Amino acid sequence: MNTVIQAFGLVFQPDVMIAIVASAFYGLTVGALPGLSATMATALLVPVTFYLSPIAAIATIITASAMAIFSGDIPGCLLRIPGTPASAAYTDEAYAMTRKGEAETALGICLWFSALGGIAGTLSLMLIAPLLAEMALSFSTYENFWLAMLGLMCSTLVARSSPIKAIAAMLLGLLITCIGIDNPGGVPRFTFGSTDLLGGIEVIPALVGVFALAEVMRSLTEREPPKLENRRLGSILKGQWELTKKYPKQQARGNLIGIIIGVLPGAGADMAAWVSYAMAKRFSKTPEKFGTGHPEGLIEAGASNNASLASGWVPALLFGIPGDTITAIAIGVLYMKGLNPGPTLFSSQASSMYALYIIFIIGNIIMIPLGIIMIRLASKVVGAPRSAVMPVIMIFCAVGAFATAGNNLFAVYCVAIFGLIGFVMEKNGYPVAAMVLGIVMGTMVEQSFVTSLIKSDGSILPFFSRPVSSVLAAMTFGALLWPVFVWTMRRLRTERPATA
Amino acid sequence: MLLSDRVTGGVIATLGATAFFYGSKLPPVPGQQVGPSAFPMVVGAGLVLCGVMIVLGVGRHFEEVAEADVVSHSTPEELEPLPAWRNWLALLPPALLIFYALVSEKLGFLPTAAIMVLTASLAFGARPKLAVPLAIIAPFVINLIFLKLLRVPLPGGLLPFPW
Repeated sequence: MNTVIQAFGLVFQPDVMIAIVASAFYGLTVGALPGLSATMATALLVPVTFYLSPIAAIATIITASAMAIFSGDIPGCLLRIPGTPASAAYTDEAYAMTRKGEAETALGICLWFSALGGIAGTLSLMLIAPLLAEMALSFSTYENFWLAMLGLMCSTLVARSSPIKAIAAMLLGLLITCIGIDNPGGVPRFTFGSTDLLGGIEVIPALVGVFALAEVMRSLTEREPPKLENRRLGSILKGQWELTKKYPKQQARGNLIGIIIGVLPGAGADMAAWVSYAMAKRFSKTPEKFGTGHPEGLIEAGASNNASLASGWVPALLFGIPGDTITAIAIGVLYMKGLNPGPTLFSSQASSMYALYIIFIIGNIIMIPLGIIMIRLASKVVGAPRSAVMPVIMIFCAVGAFATAGNNLFAVYCVAIFGLIGFVMEKNGYPVAAMVLGIVMGTMVEQSFVTSLIKSDGSILPFFSRPVSSVLAAMTFGALLWPVFVWTMRRLRTERPATA
Repeated sequence: MLLSDRVTGGVIATLGATAFFYGSKLPPVPGQQVGPSAFPMVVGAGLVLCGVMIVLGVGRHFEEVAEADVVSHSTPEELEPLPAWRNWLALLPPALLIFYALVSEKLGFLPTAAIMVLTASLAFGARPKLAVPLAIIAPFVINLIFLKLLRVPLPGGLLPFPW
């Protein structure tokens, strides 16, 4: 009980409260701008968190990402342009409702069920994380290695591209972490005599380059999205309570699927939304209504992506394995603030963990009033000219990276190079998210891999003979072979009508 | 900027092979079988494998499915190709960042950022009526945020922040 009171003390500080409200507005704004994703919002925030207290830093990341995931639904509903990839699954459905003149209900569903899903996800985080922490204490380097590999493999599955390209992108990320002297032998690797490269490639400039600068570059090559007409919206929350009572099963299923996908390393909000939407359609009594502006799928998927956001912190806090790109950034911030992920975090830093839960709950509650304000302002925000927003983001990329790297200009070069790499990769179908997860997890993968091999005298047998690690290994290979299975199924399905 | 799978796959395979050989040359840790060379060699071998498979077009099917999905979600005017020079315009932001790294210490943050904002905003098609005031105000506000709120001094150069 004492730690809970301590945690409240940590959260209800003026700087944390200001950080929560400010980052909430920031997240809502960036999420609502089409073309600016929740990941970009979070990546640009990292340099700012560098100068905040640990709890305030985590609060900004949690609030901004939750708000951005919700407000990504706004341009989806009104313009049929998903603000973030996590809302792509149900954009058509939401837009169909808007066309039927039910924009208020669609936005209301997104807001109300996002908040409820977020709270359900937080409760699961509070429940599951400490339980798993006890189990995780008995994990050795073999299990950690497979967990990391499972996370990396899942991240390649989520990518909506060729799985081979996704694996190549992930390996590229792992190769990037080889640069520098931070390796088992302490010898300089891939530094080519440069002193700047000795310290390795910092995660933050790479993130800012890939997620923010590359987006600025991409938008230069694309048309400006259509303007939002000024629309008068009625009451947003009207009728939501009725919907909550009408669709309890969909909601519960959305929350549950979101939580499960979130806990899985490597899979996050995007995948949760796609799976939940498909589930809603599969189990619906009226599947033919899907796609015509039917609330069922919207409720299930809207709840699911926000639920996964909170439960995605379970593998992040326990093992330092991100559930998605947002938690990948969050892990970077955790390390930066001395809250190194690991099962012992729950005993040694218990009050910080409770503080994290409290922030999640607060964030999801204030999402409702702030979200309504944002929906009302949407026509002004979404209409902000791209030619004014993008140059400012570019300056933030330069200054932010420069400031986090201790005023070292090498970081600015890194941002430029990673922007270029990210842009070329995205254009050619290589998912950058997989590369980023590789960069975030590379050092840990190598450490657990090499330490395990040293312990076993170079034998790979213990990787498969220990009970938990054999299960994890089977899951990893399952994830690796899954695309082959999907391909065969598709082949069989297309061939059957031809032969019949 | 769109390259064929043969080119990108070839680059990846070459990169993997280089990493493999470079990794194999790293000095071992005395008395241990596995050292700093193991990981780059494994990753390099994986990259070679992936690169070769990409060149051979394995997994291309999944991309076609995803592309068809994107097309079905876009409006026809979004799919009309833009003129080719727009693709090269994408190189402007990284070029401006390198410009920042080269001159910001001498010139100072305010003038450097003003030049960057002005160029980028014009490239996005802004009229000077919007671009010029933006180039004057935005660097000023960003400098204020970093200096006063985050207490990060930005390079002063020729035109230091007035207070």
